[in-house]
Amino acid sequence: MIRAFEGSRAVIRTGLLGIVALAFLQGAALGQMRAQHASEAACEEPTLRCATKATPAFGPDGTLWLVWMAGGQVSVASSQDAGRSFSAPTQVTTRRLNLDWGPDARPKIVVDRKGGIAVAFSIFRDEAFNGQVLYTRSADGGKSFAELKPITASNESQRFEALALDQDGTVFAAWLDKRNRVPAKEAGRKYEGAALFFASSRDGGATYAEAALARDGTCECCRLALTFAAPGRPAVIFRNIFEGGVRDHAVMTFADLSTPGEIHRVSNDDWRINACPHHGPSLTIAPNATYHVAWYTNGKARKGLFYAHSRDEGRTFSAPMALGRPDRNPTRPFVLAGPAGTVMVWKEFDGEKTSVQMTISHDDGETWSPPKAISSTTDTSDHPLLVSNGQHVYLSWMTKADGYRLTAIEGQP
Amino acid sequence: MRRRFAGILGLSILIASASALGAPPGLKPFERGTWQGVLKGHAGRPTLVHFWGVTCGPCKVELPLLGRFAKEHPEIDVVTISADLVPNLPAATQSMLDKAGLSSTENFIFNDGFVERLRFEIDPAWQGDIPRTMLISRDGIISTIEGSAEISDLEKWSAQQLAKH
Repeated sequence: MIRAFEGSRAVIRTGLLGIVALAFLQGAALGQMRAQHASEAACEEPTLRCATKATPAFGPDGTLWLVWMAGGQVSVASSQDAGRSFSAPTQVTTRRLNLDWGPDARPKIVVDRKGGIAVAFSIFRDEAFNGQVLYTRSADGGKSFAELKPITASNESQRFEALALDQDGTVFAAWLDKRNRVPAKEAGRKYEGAALFFASSRDGGATYAEAALARDGTCECCRLALTFAAPGRPAVIFRNIFEGGVRDHAVMTFADLSTPGEIHRVSNDDWRINACPHHGPSLTIAPNATYHVAWYTNGKARKGLFYAHSRDEGRTFSAPMALGRPDRNPTRPFVLAGPAGTVMVWKEFDGEKTSVQMTISHDDGETWSPPKAISSTTDTSDHPLLVSNGQHVYLSWMTKADGYRLTAIEGQP
Repeated sequence: MRRRFAGILGLSILIASASALGAPPGLKPFERGTWQGVLKGHAGRPTLVHFWGVTCGPCKVELPLLGRFAKEHPEIDVVTISADLVPNLPAATQSMLDKAGLSSTENFIFNDGFVERLRFEIDPAWQGDIPRTMLISRDGIISTIEGSAEISDLEKWSAQQLAKH
């Protein structure tokens, strides 16, 4: 502080030369702020090459669909050759929007059996960074998308939407919503974090039913993971706020599309923190109903990335298994039960480059192969995601330096 | 008179250059190597480094408290670093700093898209959760507070620093 005051006095004393020099220096510094290296994106157009976040989904015919955010727009394209080339993109947005650029935000996509494409994403709708979840649908194979609509009429902040597709084509959406903060405050009650809200769509994501509350008091700034445990029974994992401000993970399995279930704690990590971890969990449910979860914590009980499974529909979980090298800052875990095993990926950073580490289990999560680096990059990158076409599991990874990559996970039949 | 004119002209250039670039003049870019510069620049002085971001709810609550702390403790160097992922919001960042009474502290904003590398330089174990406060003693010992800091803890640390001196 004292130095800052000394600094301003110096400016006043030096007159023109000093000020011009300062203006020049500041101009240079601020000019640099606009330089490309300062951005997460390789470029500023809406093209895939400029994307910071890209989310994949396979269609029923094996077509790979990709939704991405780039240049303030959201676009969709498809690939018939496993990501080597893409169709001409279709813009979902008609103008540049203030897209939610939080580390755990990304556009979502599901493709139903008839080829209908449902998309959802968040924007910052005001200068206070209040979020809004928007959705749209394509009924013509991605050639065009319906006008964007808010997923709920509420004007309170919503972020971190997730979409999942039921067997009958119902689209289920869940997100974090702050609407209950206001009445709680007015009633003089303490309200921590946000709430988990949900809505389902019986018309493939063209319209959604009225939003309903699943759970109050969730962490407000981490991605959710959402899937189906069985037809009509969505399951979601989220960072909950437990007693005493402990932000550990919980799983909830719905009784049906409109009935939230009990929450079950995944692990007692004891991360008591009043902060935004920006680092949400991952959940997949195998055809034999095993829940596999992966998450990040910095709790008193354990720190780092962990994996656990549940063989009783998410009521109790196995002892957490640590992932990755602690000296390489393992982050962003993703787990997917695929046709030939359960696969996990995460990022590690060695001071210069980021690698994606992969491990696979062929015995439903009991034992795992030694981790192996399957991709790397020397600049910033999106989270590593896994996607399956029913025969193979692929790593889907957007990188600034090397563009978009779809990599088949080896060791599969 | 000539000198005064020169001053006004210079000031106009400064304002014009800053506004043309769309960023407030008080905010410095935080890039590769900046962390070492911060440590060197404040070596030997008790320094509080606060990491925050404009979209972080707990940060919004904590920032004005920190502003008051900074005002009441001129003997502590206060440095703020906006560590949001995408460094494209200097105006919003500056506005929140101004409202919190932190206009005159040394204020940085992350300015490298490769945030993993920036964070790794500061603390290899840090995954980006904010707010986060690092208390650096005169002898360079760093204590890290994850999440919102209790102002009473900052008071205690500050008193210890003064007592040592």
